[in-house]
Amino acid sequence: MASLSSVETIIQILLQFMPVWIAMALTFAVSYYFRDKLGLYGRLFDTYTGSIGFALVVFWLFTAILADLVITFDPIDQLAGMRKKAPGTLVPDTFNAYLLGGDLMGRDVFSRMVMGSRIVLSIAPAATIFAFMIGITLGLPAGFYGKKLDTILSFIANLVLAFPVILLFYLLVNPAIRSTGIPVAIAAVLFLFPIIFFVVLFQSRYYVQPSKRNIYVGLTLILGFWAYSGLAFNQDPLQLLGLEPIFYMDPNLLNIFVSVVFVNAPTVFRIVRGLTMDIKTRDYVAAAQTRGEGAWFVMLWEILPNARGPLIVDFCLRIGYTTILLGTLGFFGLGVSPESPDWGMTINEGRKLLAYFPHMAIPPALALLSLVLGLNLLGDGVREQSLKD
Amino acid sequence: MAESNIQSSILEIDNLSISFFTRLGEIPAVMNFSCVLEQGKALGLVGESGCGKSTVALGIMQDLGVNGSIVGGSIKFKGRELNNMSHNELSKLRGSEIAMIYQEPMASLNPAMRISKQLMEVPITHANASEQEALALALEVVKDVRLPDPERILNSYPHQLSGGQQQRIVIAMALMSKPALLILDEPTTALDVTVEAGIVDLVKGLGKKYGTSMLFISHNLGLILDTCDDICVMYSGEAVETGSIHDVFDRMRHPYTQALFRSIPLPGADKNQRPLVAIPGNFPLPHERPHGCNFGPRCNYFENGVCDESEIDMQEMADNHHHASRCKKINTIDWQADSVTKTDYKPLLAGDKVIEVENLTKYYEVSANALFSGKERSVVKANEALSFYARESETLAIVGESGCGKSTLAKVLMGLETATSGQVLLNSQSIADKAIGDRSTETVSSIQMVFQNPFDTLNPSMTVGRQIIRALEVFGVGKTESQRNNRMLELLDLVKLPREFAIRKPRQLSGGQKQRVGIARAFAGDAQIVIADEPVSALDVSVQAAVTDLLMELQRKNGTTMLFISHDLSIVRYIADRVMVMYLGHIVETGSTDQVFAPPYHPYTEALLSAVPIADTSVKRKHIVLKGDIPSAVNPPPGCPFQTRCQHKHLVGGNLCEQEMPDAIDVAEGHQLRCHLSSEHLAAMKPVIKLAGDSVVVGG
Repeated sequence: MASLSSVETIIQILLQFMPVWIAMALTFAVSYYFRDKLGLYGRLFDTYTGSIGFALVVFWLFTAILADLVITFDPIDQLAGMRKKAPGTLVPDTFNAYLLGGDLMGRDVFSRMVMGSRIVLSIAPAATIFAFMIGITLGLPAGFYGKKLDTILSFIANLVLAFPVILLFYLLVNPAIRSTGIPVAIAAVLFLFPIIFFVVLFQSRYYVQPSKRNIYVGLTLILGFWAYSGLAFNQDPLQLLGLEPIFYMDPNLLNIFVSVVFVNAPTVFRIVRGLTMDIKTRDYVAAAQTRGEGAWFVMLWEILPNARGPLIVDFCLRIGYTTILLGTLGFFGLGVSPESPDWGMTINEGRKLLAYFPHMAIPPALALLSLVLGLNLLGDGVREQSLKD
Repeated sequence: MAESNIQSSILEIDNLSISFFTRLGEIPAVMNFSCVLEQGKALGLVGESGCGKSTVALGIMQDLGVNGSIVGGSIKFKGRELNNMSHNELSKLRGSEIAMIYQEPMASLNPAMRISKQLMEVPITHANASEQEALALALEVVKDVRLPDPERILNSYPHQLSGGQQQRIVIAMALMSKPALLILDEPTTALDVTVEAGIVDLVKGLGKKYGTSMLFISHNLGLILDTCDDICVMYSGEAVETGSIHDVFDRMRHPYTQALFRSIPLPGADKNQRPLVAIPGNFPLPHERPHGCNFGPRCNYFENGVCDESEIDMQEMADNHHHASRCKKINTIDWQADSVTKTDYKPLLAGDKVIEVENLTKYYEVSANALFSGKERSVVKANEALSFYARESETLAIVGESGCGKSTLAKVLMGLETATSGQVLLNSQSIADKAIGDRSTETVSSIQMVFQNPFDTLNPSMTVGRQIIRALEVFGVGKTESQRNNRMLELLDLVKLPREFAIRKPRQLSGGQKQRVGIARAFAGDAQIVIADEPVSALDVSVQAAVTDLLMELQRKNGTTMLFISHDLSIVRYIADRVMVMYLGHIVETGSTDQVFAPPYHPYTEALLSAVPIADTSVKRKHIVLKGDIPSAVNPPPGCPFQTRCQHKHLVGGNLCEQEMPDAIDVAEGHQLRCHLSSEHLAAMKPVIKLAGDSVVVGG
């Protein structure tokens, strides 16, 4: 069977990523040109750590967005003749090669790796954002009021943190548990927090301007509950009207999502609580109180914005942890459908024949590694630059 | 030290230049700095924050960090060039021949090591002493710094000591190796005045005893006058005037030095007739220094083509080679001219009582553990039965050291805390038991506060304009966004800030400008009462005058009642109409400013007055150094709160002071004090502050 030489394969892979390169080059050129006006983001380019981290993250981000242009074959198509074929092997009767070889089922490893980024990057950041909303909404009052409320909330957070993570996943993702509706119930609770967060955010600030307040709070409630019914219960109102739903989440995905949010929120809670306890002693907090601001205004508009530095750093790092967590879940075959090109699952499949056919497991493993490395470097870069302020 | 090398000068700095290298390029922090410190003498280094005085100290220690370096000049210690020394040689010098004392005592001590261990390290490292020798030396030095119960102190950890005790330990540590040069970087700034007086006394005595030369860095001119022989005034990275204390204080020859003295409240300054003169403009940033004289843009004597022509060198006086100044116009300026602007504001007439406080008491209950709180609860008695009042357009100063309960009082008045018992009447409405959330908007906006720390008073992530507008929104001022915006701009005008500042973030403002925004915010709802909690103590002297001025101007305009909380008696004498002295939760003396600053005094007031350094060579102060520290409010002494430190206690018969809280006695109309001293003793009290050749007390 004909195949490309290794140099040709590498060149072909690089060419295949062309849309990503172009997008990255544009991003970097624009960001670098305006870096003095972009605050913290602009200063990221002052350090190697920050630039490299940012490059890696942006690479995978664009890969996920432009995956349809990058892939060479459908990641699910199985070509019997291509099973376990080495990288660069040409598919019979075409001029296209399986650039990183074929897997056990004869699927294209390269395309699966590229498509895999889409799964990770659609869950990890979103799940992290949800975890932050919950951690912030609970951490602020815990740190601000202290006393009993803090004791109770911290106890619950510790309870969740003390539970072995993998075991928790096995339980949540287990079909038997799923049929009891527990994951949906958890989702119902967890997904409520972003709505609460935004309603309180707007109410506390704009209660002095009722007309503005009504618009913001109203919009939040409409959009929030629309998304809420779709994501948590799969009951998008549009669906009931017989239209294509906008907010929809695959039940498998919902499980993963809920579990990831569930285990990450307590850590965010603790960080926010600690920062709040520190910042609430500042004079500007007292100044806000002495002009009669409510507690939530003080928490959300005086304390939270000034806690953003450490939170942004943690956000970057946490997407990295979440990515690893998703990989772990996939590796154990939890949650994701067996066909999907999830990185963790691909690694697990390739693991069995690692000694003979390393090309199946190594590409997704490297992909996972480089994305997490990029996120960690980015986090470090942000931390370094934010301390210079 | 076996060093018997007799040399006249310990430290010789010649044309020293230090720069920091950052993202913005090279930032010169110190330029062409020269000074000489002689054996056994003390040199004071004075200047505002950012003028490079600490950088000089770090340069001497050769400890400038990664991005700082010495770019020119020489530093000679006992004739040896420090700039060329190897790391090993420097290690031998540091801590043994040159010792440094920093501002924050807690940060200079290792919290995980016992005091004895930390002190013993010095001779063990530098003199190869045995443990016994080191311990014996430590004990001796701790006795020398006049700490009570040295054995116990040696056995404690830093956090078990008070701030004053910690600073004494830091000094002891510096003295362990009997250094030839001691560098003190603002050693008392973090301490209370009466504690500061003790430390200053100690440092002076030790300097004499050990023959140590001292480099004393401070922003406080009074402190320098008390401690030093020579002085070097710095401005924006340069020495602008050097000379002996008396030359510089009495025959100053640099406009900056002169402006500095005119901006500090010395006895004789009067807010209505002889107000302070603030230095116009702002301190130049290191990369925005003007051409020629750095002080040029802010100088009254600035002359185009002379002052901004070229770099200016230090110039010795024709008649005194020890006195030099960096000014081109030394000989043309009339230095004797009394250019203090005289104004003739009518003293404000105090109106009706706006706020009345009766028997206000505030206790805090503290327990060690929130979750498993046992029976062990202790009570902090922050305020004990306070009664006072303040009238319209009056400035009532509340004076006291840390822990006296003045901040708690402010919190109760503001409604951040509610009183345990007692009454607070605001316009005859009771507000003592109303937390801020229960007060009406009107009440909230009529009593507002200006905070102490300018770097903390504004929310760093909101623009200046936004913060003022928010206050307007909450107070219900203006109906539409544009009305509020206009009002905000007016408020900026009122506090003399350019309107462009509305869109700036607080970090783009200097300390004084931030404080102005804080004031604008407090006046947003036309406050009737403004509680100013040490509003200027964190600012540089030249800015203090301007901010004080602004507060008084706003008071004049609006008839505001001001409760001015401060520990700085100089500024209180200048600004206040009436004074209330607090100690450990009690009011010990109240009266008009003249009454409080003249005898008869409460013994605490007397000590406080004598502790405040005054930067005027013609002022003679009585020397009173209080024993010990302020007792804890958790466990206050029985009887009179001040009895543990009182210098007059022996005059009262029996154990009266230890048994009974004295009642408030009227010594004159409106002048009350709480003391057991007999009226004869009180009448026999001598004034603490005297101008030379003048027996009259200088009052407000």
